[in-house]
Amino acid sequence: MFWRLLWKLLRASSGRLTVAILALVSCAMVVSALLNLEFDIERKLTQEFRMLGANVLISPGNAAQATGIGPGEPMSESDVSGALQDLEDPAVVASAPFLYVVERVRDTPVVVAGTKLEELPKLEPAWRIDGAWTSPQDHLNSCVIGRNVARQFQLLPGGLLNLTYLGKSAQLTVAGILDAGGTEDNQVFVQLAKAQDLAGLNGQISLAQLSVRGTTKSISQYSARLAARLPAYDVRPIRQVTEAESDLLNRIRLLVVSMVVLILVLTALCVLATMAALAMERRQDVGLMKALGGSIERIVALFMAEVGVLGAAGGFVGAILGIVLSRWMGQRVFGTAISSRWEIFPLTIALMVAVALAGALPLRMLGKVKPAMIFRGE
Amino acid sequence: MFGRLVRESFVRNPRRKLLTAAALVVGMAVATSTLTIVLEVGDRLAREFRSLGANLLVTPQSDTLPVEIGGVDYRPVDEGAYLSEDALGKLKTIFWRHNVLGFTPFLDVPALVNGSHEMKTTLIGTWYEHEVSVPDGTTFKTGLSFTHPSWKIQGRWFRDSANEAVIGANLAARDPEVFAIGKKIRVAHSGSANAAWDLVVTGIVSTEGSEDNGIIVPLSFAQRFSGRRGQFRELFVSALTKPADSFSERDPLKMTPTEYDRWFCSPYISSISYQIKTVLPGTDVRAIRRVADTEGSILSRVSTLLWIVTLTALGAAALAVAATSATTVLERRAEIGVMKALGATNALVAGIFLAEQLLLAIAGAAVGFVVGAVLARSLGASIFGTAASVRLILFPVILGLAAIVALVGSLIPLRRAAHFNPAPILRGE
Repeated sequence: MFWRLLWKLLRASSGRLTVAILALVSCAMVVSALLNLEFDIERKLTQEFRMLGANVLISPGNAAQATGIGPGEPMSESDVSGALQDLEDPAVVASAPFLYVVERVRDTPVVVAGTKLEELPKLEPAWRIDGAWTSPQDHLNSCVIGRNVARQFQLLPGGLLNLTYLGKSAQLTVAGILDAGGTEDNQVFVQLAKAQDLAGLNGQISLAQLSVRGTTKSISQYSARLAARLPAYDVRPIRQVTEAESDLLNRIRLLVVSMVVLILVLTALCVLATMAALAMERRQDVGLMKALGGSIERIVALFMAEVGVLGAAGGFVGAILGIVLSRWMGQRVFGTAISSRWEIFPLTIALMVAVALAGALPLRMLGKVKPAMIFRGE
Repeated sequence: MFGRLVRESFVRNPRRKLLTAAALVVGMAVATSTLTIVLEVGDRLAREFRSLGANLLVTPQSDTLPVEIGGVDYRPVDEGAYLSEDALGKLKTIFWRHNVLGFTPFLDVPALVNGSHEMKTTLIGTWYEHEVSVPDGTTFKTGLSFTHPSWKIQGRWFRDSANEAVIGANLAARDPEVFAIGKKIRVAHSGSANAAWDLVVTGIVSTEGSEDNGIIVPLSFAQRFSGRRGQFRELFVSALTKPADSFSERDPLKMTPTEYDRWFCSPYISSISYQIKTVLPGTDVRAIRRVADTEGSILSRVSTLLWIVTLTALGAAALAVAATSATTVLERRAEIGVMKALGATNALVAGIFLAEQLLLAIAGAAVGFVVGAVLARSLGASIFGTAASVRLILFPVILGLAAIVALVGSLIPLRRAAHFNPAPILRGE
């Protein structure tokens, strides 16, 4: 009986309910899209923040420095790369070892950094290169030079650079010219093996840099694991970068959440408007139900159930549309679709039912309807 | 007659208008606050990004290559080019001077410091909070506290005129006995031990960079120590910029005059560095790519995102207002029936209803604007720490939006009302 009445009521005022359901569906769509975004924005933005470059450094430990040997004491390349392989983690975007040596170009001292040239664009996506990172013909003998070095020695991509170090010398092909806007503009980047060979420091590196994706917490957890694996060395996250990241992230999330709340209030109001009108229209029905002996609770429950069904239906359709919208938003804003979470689905439906019920509060006025007055036509 | 009808409608049944008015107020408040925030967010976030530190680096153009490893410049003091400190005030005279939030000169000098044994280190001469006199007669306070806000100090910073020093955390960890706050340290030139200077340690700084291996001292001290009075080697500038796009990356020399003006008058990082270069001749001004590009990419993404969110919020607001307007028209079918029975034309009925809606829209938008302004201020305060300033230019926009939405919302049911046959309505069917 209850359900049959409910069905009849829904059918009878379908025109009026269209407005409410339209509002609910559009609200559910926006809310579920924003919630999807809210859950995924952290991952998306931390990925963007990787443009800041390395955020975890492995350097020779303080133990080595305390003896007064200085920061130049090298580390073992195999130790570091072994530890990185053991702790393989998809959050590590890029990692590169560095060996710094001062070598000479035409009798001018220049800092030469031996590294994995092919890792550099992943490690430092903000660096611009004129030319290529490695030259395809001669992988080992290619180098990338900073723009100040290029200006000093008037070199262009494809040119030849002679490096000398304590009598040894090497001729390298300039694959590209680097614009980093920092001290790197004064350096020459070569393949690690080449630098080790020239300096006679086989298997040694002076620093390793990692770019790790994630929150402040997950990055420090990863670097703690790495530190436990490399007790002799100093592993530390670059805190200033990760702190600025999470601060900005929190502000952006707060913005999105406040927008969601505003939209929810707005939709509740829209449902309220429709329901108030509906309540006025239904006074006759209510009068009739009461005259036939229906209790107020039962009548209100009937109307509330009607609104609840409306909210659930709106939430269901809206959540599906919201997934489509969030995919489009992700594609438009970040270039990759936002992955949708299944939790959002029931959450959106629950929110919509709650909003619809809140909007339906004026239906309680129906409890005051006196059948006699209605039938008298007042 | 027309005016009286409209007035009567308001006076006779104010409760009926309440719903539409409420929807208008809330809808327009949402529109005002979201628009205010989205218009302001770029500026605010750009300012937030300055916590990442400086985004421009100024170096002498004719410099020799710095031989710098781990933050220690191994070049002798007499090699390479220097810049003059006197010209720095001019940075606050460029077109985008208000976007220059701070700048800090650096002069690195290799030195020996006495510990339990002598240690090679670098004296980093700079400003913490320094008053720079600007050519227009004012002064500008700048230094590390503006360009390197993430550096964490334990103890206090040096005073700019005193023989005081702040020790890098790594260096301090090497000999905690010697490098303790309040202790005196002795620094001398590497190579010759004849001239030694005493410095009082006032703090230990953690920069997470190469400066952690050095000693940070007032610029004036580093200049006296190296005999380079009034000079420095590098200048870090923190400037508010607009995200770079394909236009900003073009070569200014190849632009047409109007394009050049547009480029010059936009706070792109390229135009600001160009302007700095004109007031500091003989320098090379470069964007610090890591900072500048991260900022640019995140700013443009976040503002696209917020525009989408704002537009959807505006859509929801419009729908709510339109729905309530439609409801009020439907509610008054009986009234419409009476009017038509008394000989009112469809145009007159529509005119009366639209006039009512328009009045409501104007009133609702005005109140909504005020509510939205308050909302935007408190939202801005909770998100950015300072209240967002509401632009008055938004008021006509909101007013127009409210009018359009309310009119469109009532037009659809009014068109249906045109087909009403008064007789069944009056019979109560």
